Amino acid sequence: MRRYGRVFREFFRACFVEEMEYRSEFFGNFAASFFGVGMALLTVHIFFYQTDDLGGWTYAEVLVLLGIFNMLRGFIDFALRPNMPRLLEHVRRGTLDYILTKPVDSMFYVSFRHLVFWRLIDVALGLGVIGYGLYIERYVPSAVDVLMFLVVMAASLLLIYSLWMMLMTTSFWVVRIDDLSFIFDSFFETARFPGSMYRGAVRMVITYVLPAVLITNTPALALLGKWSVSTVLAALAVAILFLWLARRFWRFALRFYTGAGG
Amino acid sequence: MVIRVSHLHKSFRVHRREAGWLEAVRSLWRRDYRIVEAVKDVSFTIEKGEIVGFLGPNGAGKTTTMKMLAGLLHPTSGEITVGGFVPFEQKAEFKKMMSLVMGQKSQLIWDIPPMETFLVNKAIYDIDDRSFRQTLEELTELLDLAPLLDKPTRSLSLGQRMRCELAAALLHRPQVLFLDEPTIGLDVHTQENVRRFIVDYNREHETTILLTSHYMGDVAALCDRVMIINYGRLIYDGELSVLTEKLAPYKRLEVRFSRLPNISWDEYGEVAEMEEGTVVLRVARETAAGTAARLLERFDVRDINIEDPPLEEVITRAFQEGVYGS
Repeated sequence: MRRYGRVFREFFRACFVEEMEYRSEFFGNFAASFFGVGMALLTVHIFFYQTDDLGGWTYAEVLVLLGIFNMLRGFIDFALRPNMPRLLEHVRRGTLDYILTKPVDSMFYVSFRHLVFWRLIDVALGLGVIGYGLYIERYVPSAVDVLMFLVVMAASLLLIYSLWMMLMTTSFWVVRIDDLSFIFDSFFETARFPGSMYRGAVRMVITYVLPAVLITNTPALALLGKWSVSTVLAALAVAILFLWLARRFWRFALRFYTGAGG
Repeated sequence: MVIRVSHLHKSFRVHRREAGWLEAVRSLWRRDYRIVEAVKDVSFTIEKGEIVGFLGPNGAGKTTTMKMLAGLLHPTSGEITVGGFVPFEQKAEFKKMMSLVMGQKSQLIWDIPPMETFLVNKAIYDIDDRSFRQTLEELTELLDLAPLLDKPTRSLSLGQRMRCELAAALLHRPQVLFLDEPTIGLDVHTQENVRRFIVDYNREHETTILLTSHYMGDVAALCDRVMIINYGRLIYDGELSVLTEKLAPYKRLEVRFSRLPNISWDEYGEVAEMEEGTVVLRVARETAAGTAARLLERFDVRDINIEDPPLEEVITRAFQEGVYGS
């Protein structure tokens, strides 16, 4: 485990150097992130001109949700998104062979080799929005709230990682689509709002089949003190189940790639 | 013995499709598959410290075999052990004792200096600081890397990049090295350097090396032993010199005259080439020296040269005729 920590740090360092090589426009990106969050806030604000609640959530609660959404999206853009097109490249060009000869878990390697560190700005901004939401709501989370929040947040990250990984793994077969991430995005966008806002079949799908709503809603509710032990345990169980599935799928894909029983 | 391969088979299922629109559409739901046997019943062993050349035309099964040895492909049947490991189990210990360099594919990070890739590999292979420094120092000297280490990889020439690739692959001191076309695309001078490095490194560390190459020069310079594979079958495994004698029981006699005599050459040998004052004869090995002497005696010879036929010619004959059959 500690070795993986070191490898991750090394990936981060190499990416930092790579980023600096192009003197990536840190401030430009910073401004863009700010603008993105500003627009999202404005949208929520406009909604609340018309109504006092959105699927049972108050303005401040929706802000907390938005903050969490922004944080999670920051994590995706930081560690996951940069790796998707590279895996396609590796499969297409055969450089995946190099990765498979390395004494490090290949799934770990392909998902974290490329990191875009300045995307962590979005995580920080998300935290800011959460703080603002809590301030308006005049709610100070208790230690237990925070603990529960951390647990479900970890579960959400695992869940996102697993869903993303499963999508990424399809590149062993779908080598012609350059960027599969739009599929993920269109589904993840639904997590921006309270799940209770959606109706009927859509709500069923994004709650149970592709648990987008679960990913953002449960951490927000936990931080607002509206958690229950059963929800927290359920979130953890779902996360572990999906991680297991993603792992199985990756192994299956590798067996296909290496011609073992495929 | 480090590498042992017995009765290795590999077959692929290949999707076959006729050209054309209709066929393309039809193949959406009905696919015809064909089984291609890439490697058939290949067996060999390689001892520690050997450099073995693996030869064969494109698609003969060289790379497929090498990939199975490196644990990247699962054999259809047969057994492989490399350093006591079964490659396809892909154990970390196995990966730490071997390395793979593919001339056509790069593992260096494109936009930043090679040193960064080395550091990433250091973490991945869990190399401690001291051995890393020592190894890097040695490789830097052998491969003359000092001026390259801090330049972005994208700005390096192909030859410089290959030197860095080799270093990246050797940092963890593998005991077995698989080189797939390591000199492809390099100029003659760089090829020479890479070869010299491989020989020196092998001598120094007793690394077992299996090498595929299209350049016969590589093989002639590096390997005492060659394995020839064609249509998936191993058709020769043995010393290079024996192969040459067996397949080419003749020498090339290149003779340059002041004035080319207008005679029938049958008495001396078979004419391979003839142009302005120069004739190249194929002469039986045993009589080559005698023939040369006779030519010198009878004609006004400016220059004469006796040599083994080029390896390309020998190998081509091996592919055409088979070795065991002849």
